[in-house]
Order: sequence, then structure tokens, then C-alpha cells
Amino acid sequence: MAYKFTTTLFRALIYLFLFVLLLVTLAPIWLLIVNATRSTVEIQQGVAFLPSTHVFENYGILIGRGLDMPRGFMNSMFLAIATTVVSVYFSLLTAYGMVVYDFPGKKIFYNFILVLVMLPMQLSIIGFYQYMSKLGLTDSYWALILPSVASAGAVFFGKQYLESVVISDLIDAARIDGASELGIFHRVMLPIATPGAFTMAIFAFIASWNNFFTPFILISSIKKYTLPMLVQTLRGDVYRTEYGSIYLGLAITVVPIIIIYALFSRYIVSGIAMGSVKE
Amino acid sequence: MQTLAKFRRNYFGVLFLVPFILAFLLFGLFPVYNTIALSFTDTTLMTSNANFIGLKNFQRLFADGVFINAIKNTWLLWILNFIPQIGIAMLLSVWFTNARLRIKAVGVWRALFFLPNLLMPAAVASLFFSLFSYFGPMNQFLVRNGFLPEAMQFLQSKEIARGLVIFIQWWMWFGNTIIILMAGMTSVPLTLYEAAMVDGASATQMFRHITLPLLKPILIYIFVTSLVGGMQMFDIPYLLTDGRGAPASSILTNNMLMYLKFSSSQGHIGAASSVGVMIFLMTSVCSLGIFYFLRDKDSKISHQMKF
Amino acid sequence: MTRKISTLLSILLAVSFVLAACAPAAVTATEAPVAPAPATGKTVLKVWSFTNEINTVAIAFEGKHPDVDVQYTMIPMTNGEYQTKLKAALGTADAPDVIALEASFVKSYVESDMLADLGSLLPDAKAANTYTFVTDVGSNAGVTKAFAYQATPGALFYRRSLAIEYFGTDDPAKIQELLSDMDKYAAAAATVKEKSGGNTYMVASSGDFQNPFFSNRAQPWVVDGNLVVDPMVEKYIATAKLFRDNGYEAQAQQWQEGWFAGMNDSLVDANGNAKKVFSYFLPTWGLPYVLAPNAKSADGAHDTSGDWAVITGPLPYQWGGTWLGILKDSPNMDLAKEFIRFSTLDEETLTNWATGVYTNDYLKAIDPNVAPDQQQAPGDFVSSQNVVEKITASFDNSDLSKFLGGQNSYAGFAAAAPSVNAKLLQGSDDAIQRALNDPINQYLNGAMTLDEMWAAWKDAVRNEFPDLIIP
Repeated sequence: MAYKFTTTLFRALIYLFLFVLLLVTLAPIWLLIVNATRSTVEIQQGVAFLPSTHVFENYGILIGRGLDMPRGFMNSMFLAIATTVVSVYFSLLTAYGMVVYDFPGKKIFYNFILVLVMLPMQLSIIGFYQYMSKLGLTDSYWALILPSVASAGAVFFGKQYLESVVISDLIDAARIDGASELGIFHRVMLPIATPGAFTMAIFAFIASWNNFFTPFILISSIKKYTLPMLVQTLRGDVYRTEYGSIYLGLAITVVPIIIIYALFSRYIVSGIAMGSVKE
Repeated sequence: MQTLAKFRRNYFGVLFLVPFILAFLLFGLFPVYNTIALSFTDTTLMTSNANFIGLKNFQRLFADGVFINAIKNTWLLWILNFIPQIGIAMLLSVWFTNARLRIKAVGVWRALFFLPNLLMPAAVASLFFSLFSYFGPMNQFLVRNGFLPEAMQFLQSKEIARGLVIFIQWWMWFGNTIIILMAGMTSVPLTLYEAAMVDGASATQMFRHITLPLLKPILIYIFVTSLVGGMQMFDIPYLLTDGRGAPASSILTNNMLMYLKFSSSQGHIGAASSVGVMIFLMTSVCSLGIFYFLRDKDSKISHQMKF
Repeated sequence: MTRKISTLLSILLAVSFVLAACAPAAVTATEAPVAPAPATGKTVLKVWSFTNEINTVAIAFEGKHPDVDVQYTMIPMTNGEYQTKLKAALGTADAPDVIALEASFVKSYVESDMLADLGSLLPDAKAANTYTFVTDVGSNAGVTKAFAYQATPGALFYRRSLAIEYFGTDDPAKIQELLSDMDKYAAAAATVKEKSGGNTYMVASSGDFQNPFFSNRAQPWVVDGNLVVDPMVEKYIATAKLFRDNGYEAQAQQWQEGWFAGMNDSLVDANGNAKKVFSYFLPTWGLPYVLAPNAKSADGAHDTSGDWAVITGPLPYQWGGTWLGILKDSPNMDLAKEFIRFSTLDEETLTNWATGVYTNDYLKAIDPNVAPDQQQAPGDFVSSQNVVEKITASFDNSDLSKFLGGQNSYAGFAAAAPSVNAKLLQGSDDAIQRALNDPINQYLNGAMTLDEMWAAWKDAVRNEFPDLIIP
């Protein structure tokens, strides 16, 4: 009896703790969304926890001040999709080569990928920048898309995943039918690997969508600014007097991600787990 | 015939790796080489001529306290967010996976705690910048409810600015850590716990002697990836204040110092490269070292598990 | 669930193809790193600036040259972003032709070999009687590389109603006498605080009077490769400390919300109490760009228009100004030179610019796609003495003079402009002064001693300028 009581009490305390933690987790996001719907005057008057009705007004001000959010949105979308397609395709290709074939140096290559995951590659950005500028590729999306052909983390994930789904009988059958090796990868393997590819795609998409540092160094003309680069200009003086619009501008970047998450949270959660466990 | 086919297939395996290797050489390795080469020159963006100046850039890094301060800041900001991150994540994972507690809707809790991880760091930093400005909502809230006697310059206080960076990093990453830890814990075979319970082990004992040792590879994974990420911290501290690490250079990180040199009025990319090289070395040695040493020991421990 | 995925994947793919096919202009440019093909048959002139202001004159330029397409790019100066992007763009395929350079870093470009020689425009400058200091700033070692359309002497703006309340008069001459040096200004701040019961601040931010002090230094920051701290800098810091410790300033940051709110009486402290600001230090451009547009609060409840007056203030000074130069590799050199002549040396343009001819309707007639708030309000102070003399009288009964309770600000600026000197400006000013902001804040807050403040600043400066000798 006493044992049961302490467990119940303990459980209640845990729920309380979880609830407080949840408040801390969601409060900033909630405040952001609420303030995005409030007018400047309302925000000046104090904190509120319920949305107001000024979304469109705020959006009008935001656009009127020359902040081209739709363009930034399209730029980020284009870049994220291109990076995602490139990185998922080539990572699966590389992983497939490692899983299905046997060749000398395979083990070394695998360890090499593992080491790459643990190196802070971002720190060579200055050399990358100068090299791209010599090639005339600064201020170009190529410099952001092409490097994702070699994304070590995605290859690592792809390898873990493919090991669990590759069926060698199917590959052999396709070979007997006269399919080429690359053809097998395209026609047999990719359809089987779709769920894994999808998980990889979500991560690649979010990583590119949120990436600030690399485009911030490489992209210089404002027409090509991505959303994170545009969003940080909201801290500048042109917008400082329009609080509601500032919050709305920030909310615009956050809401699409929340929607994607609401739809596919299960894939994201299982993806994170898969990337780490089978090491 | 058979061997030829096999050879052909193996040969194809290498072909599959060619795009990766090419892209790595062009966009991964060469930039590293180029960064190292630049770090020995006085190249700037504003002049076209550059000279080889040996180790001068590196000597200058140590001529004053700025570089050392940036390294200290980076470690401080990372460690102070990593400890609560792993602590709280561990606590929640144990609760969530505990069969006796039967916490309801674990998936929902976990999914909600993870949400901040998906937000754009640039937007998050700008959000906190607005919330904590002198005439912003945080001051309104705290003063009107009597928590503060008068408005405060939050972002001009070293401790508060650091605290905010640490909080944001923690807030964005603890949900991610929970998911990884839980994946590890659920993969521990139940029979191990059952056997231990038969032997009369307490919950704490089981955690220390079964869960922790088996989690070790995962803990190393979390540790190393967080370290590599933490050493490259940029978005949040850069966008939270003036981009120079204000107040009093308290949130000036390695990466920000590199960017400061890059964006200085002459655009000293030679000097910026020397910062990049130093941090690259420091981080790589730490992450590979930790991985190498801890991983070796681990396999021995898990074989000699005893109660 | 699998169906959901494949649907989404195919949508993603479809969208990416559509995006690739009808790619936005930005993307096409990446694929064709050559100068954008003149599909319209127009010559493209790329202009970069840090505000939308020059876009007005760019559109007017298109009106005069229908065969030219000016591609205008605005990147804000927040945290030095414009300066960095500009450096990073030098020598790339998308490098601009004409670049705008703010006073704090114009010298670093003029001193470098990045800008083209604009000596061929000097006769035009002579004809327009351009203020000497404007040309001086744009010149290095006898070569002129940049011109400006503005001259930017500074002034002090104050609230008439508050002046009557605290000093018994709103007469500019009397107030000027009362505030004729910084010590008097500080004494007046005490009066304002006392008589308002602490509800009116003398100034929104102590950063406001940084420029007046810095403009009156005896020597620039760098003398023969040595970093120099002029006594005026020390005096500025002492005054700022005095204002902070005594609560004479609202602790707003320049260009941040509180600073703007003070202009229209919507400043509210954390408790919800209304606060007022007595005066703002702003230069010529501060009137049409900053003060006038912000005199009305967002909800229209507060409007301070007509309640302002302008005087020279405690110290004569100059603040800011935008110069235009041409990158020396520009493929459109002649056109770019014509653009600079048109926008900085052409008396007709400058007259239109200063007198409010470039309204939104005017610009719309040239380019129907122009943004609804793109226009040039009257009142900016231009660089040509001929134009200044010609138009000063026209401001006697203008909207602008109504904003200032009947004062003609132009006449005041015209009197102050000839005394402005540009000898203090250096290429390193921007970096050196920005490095000072945070240490000063720390000192004002009491988090650093004066010595710690100087040390922190010197460290930051050394990082920017490794070759500078720092005492």
C-alpha cells in the first residue's frame, strides 16, 4: 500500500515537472506567434498570451518596408529542395556502393566517413570562400548545393538504413534480367529505400532551411538572400519601430517547419534514433 | 566467368563512391588545404597582393587575450549547456522508459520537447533579442509583476547574456538528446533487467550497472556530436547582441572571432584562416581523441559486466 | 503512411522542377555568371546601397535614360553587414558598378585601389559649387574617387512645448544660449529632470552626443600608424557617465525601439508610465529621414509634428553622409560616371531631391512597380552651394518649417555647412568607433572601470588592425 502510494506521488511529481518543462519549451514559441498577430501599440502596452487580429496589417508593413519575404522564402525553398535532392541521392548512391559491393579499402572508407562526421568542417569556410571566389562561384547557389554531394552524416545514416532493407536476391534477379548496376540502384533499390530516403530528406531539408552561417558568408546580393539571412535584418533600424511585423517576420520562418513536423514527427523522431543507435 | 562478374561488380562498387570522393576532394579537402595555406599569408579582401608571412598570424592570436578569451567562452557556453542537457535528458529518458512508472503519452511529450530543435537559430536569436531588449516584453512582464524593481539592460550584463545563450542552446537540444537516449535504452534487452531483478538489484543499481554501461556508445556519440557542434557555435551568440560578442566579449565564440577577422574593415582572410586552423585542430583532436579512447575501453567493460 | 510519403515526395520533386524551370531571377544568374543578358535591350547598371534612399534618384535616372535599367540592391548596415557584403562582392561576377559609401567607411575605399578615378567630373563639381569638404572626403592623394549629394552638418532638435514648460521659452535663440556648451546642456538636463519629476529625459541615448564630441576632436583616431585617444573622446565618456548616473537619458539605444518611440511621445517604461524626451542630436538628413517620419506614433494617438525646433546646439558637428563611387572594374564606366554626375553634381537633380519633387507619383510614372513608400520627402541638405542658395527661401513656409513651428531649418544648415571640416575622417573610423560601443556600455553600467574599458577597446581594435601601434 505504502509502496503504491509513493509511486503515485512520485508519478504526480513527474507530471508536474514535465508540465513545467513543457511550459518553458513552448512559451517562447507561443509568445512569438501571439506577438506576430498583435499590433505595435498592443505590444507596447504589455505582454499577452492570447492572439490578436493584426496579422495582415503586420504583413503589409513588413512587405512595405522593402523586406522581400516571399523572395527569401522561394530562395530558401529552392535551395533546401535542391540540397535535399542532391544529398539524398548521392548519399544513398555512396551507401549502396558500400553495402552491396565488396572491394578492397571498403573498411577504410567507412572509417573515413565516420571520422568526417566528427570533424568541424565548417571551420574551413574561409578557404572555401576564397576558392569559390576564384572560381567565380561566390554569390551563387552552386557553392551551397554542390558540396552536399559529399555529406558524410547522410552517407552514414544511409548505410545503416540500407543494411536493414537490402535484399540481395532481388539484386541478383535484376542482374539476371540484364539490368545494369546503376539501373538496379535506380529501379530496384530506390523504391525499396523510399522511407529511409524520406527521413534523410526531412533532415537535409531542415538543415538547409535553417542554415545561416554558410550562406551568410557566401551570398552577397540581397536578391539571393535566404530566409535566415533576411530574418536577421529585422533587427536593423528600418523595422525597429514595428514590433508586430518583426515578430511576424520571425514567425513566417518557424510556422512551415512546425507544420512539417506536425505531419511527420514520427519519421523525424525515429530518424534521430536510427542515426545514432546502430553505431 | 564467375570471378570476372565478381570483379566487375566490385569495380562498380568503387564507381558508386566516385561522386562522393570527387565532391569531398573539391569541396571538403581542398578548402581545408586552402585555409591552411591562407593562414600563412596576409591576404585581405581589399587588396589584390598577398605575402607569405610565416607564423605571424598565429603569433598575433596569442599577442593579446582575445583569442584565448574566445576559446574560453566557447568551452564555457558549450559545457554549461551540455551538462543540464544530458542531465535532464537522462532523467526524462529513464522516466519515459520505466515500465513501473507508466508515463502516459510518452511520444507526445517527447515530440513537443523536441520542437525547438527544428526552429531556425537565426529566428530564435532575433526573437530573444526582441524579448529581452530594454523596452521589450520581458522587462514589462518582470517589472509589472514585481519581480524586478526597474527595467534592466539584460543584454548588457555578461552573466545574463551568457545565460541566455546557454539557455537557448539547452532549449534547442535537450529534446534531441532525449530521443537518442531513449532509443538506446529501449534497445537494452529486457532479460538483463529481469535477471537483475531476480538477483534483487535496486533501480539505481540497475541504472548504474546495466543501463549506463550499455548506453556508453550512445553517450559518446552524443558527447562528440555536441562537442563538434558546440565548438562551431555561431548563429545564436552572433545574432543575440552586436555580433562582436557584447557584452564585454562575453559571448564571443571561436567562430565569431573568425567571422570578425573576415569582416574587419580590410577583410583579413589570412588572419581569419589562422583562427579557423587553430579551432579545427583543437576540435578535431578533442573529438577524435574522445571517440578513440572511450570506444576502446567500452567494449571491454561491456564484456565484464558484473553485479 | 507510405502513400503519404510518396505523395509528398512527388510534390517536393514537382515543386523543385517547377522552381528549376521558371527559376527566380536569382537562380538564373547563378547559371549564367556572365553579365545578365540584356533581354530587354537595356544596359544594366548595378547600384548598391545601405538604405532605399538612392533608389529614388536611380528611378529618376531611368526616367532620363530609358535605355538603362538600374538594378538597385539595398543591404542594411546592421552589425556592419553592408560593409562585409560589399567587400565580399568585390571582383565577383555580380559586383556592383556604383556603390554607396557611408562617412564612417568611405575613406577606406577612397584610400584603397578599388575605386575608379572620377577626376573627369571635377569640372561639374566646380560648376555646381560643391562644398569643398564633400570633395575632400572623396579624394585621396590628389585623386577624387567619390562624390556626395549631401552635406551633413549636425544640429539639435528640441520639443517646444517642453521647453516652455521647463525653461519658460521656446525661442530658439534663447534656448541656444541656454544650451551653448555641453556643461550647460548637462545643467539643463538636471533642470528638466527636476521639473518633470523624472518623467522627461534630456536625451534618449547618450550615444546621441557621441558625434558632436567626436567631430570636435583635435586629431583623428590614427596618427602616423598610432592609435590616438583625443581628450574630446575622454570628455564624451565622462559626459555620458554623468547622464547615465543621474538618469538624464532614457537608456535607449540609437536606432532601437525606445529611441524612435521618444520622438512621438509613445515611450513607455517597463511599468507602463509614459516618458518624454526633450531633445535629439540629429544632422541634416535626420530631419526628413528620422524625426519627421517618426513624429507620429503607430496608432496615431501621439503626434509631435509642429512641436519641434532646431538650433546649432552645444557643439557644431557633422554626422554621416553618403558618397558614391565606381568600382574600377565596372564594365559600364561611362554610364556609371553619368549616374554619379546626375545624382551628385546635377543642379536640377539636387533641386528636385531637396524640394520634394521626387514623390511616389513622380516615380510611379517612370516605373509602375515602385514600392508605395519609395519617395524623397523635401528637406535633405544637398552638397551644391548653388542649389542651397537657390532653394533656401523656398522652405520659409513649407511643411517642413511647419513641422519645426515655423523655423527654416535649411537656412540654419546653410549657415553651418561651410564650417564643416573633413580632416578627421579616416577609413578606420567605422571599425574603431564600433569597437568602442560595447566597452562604453559596460563602463556606463558600472560593469567595467575606465581602465578596463580602454583595455577592452584596445584589444578589439588590435584585432581589426593588426599593424596599428596601440599605446
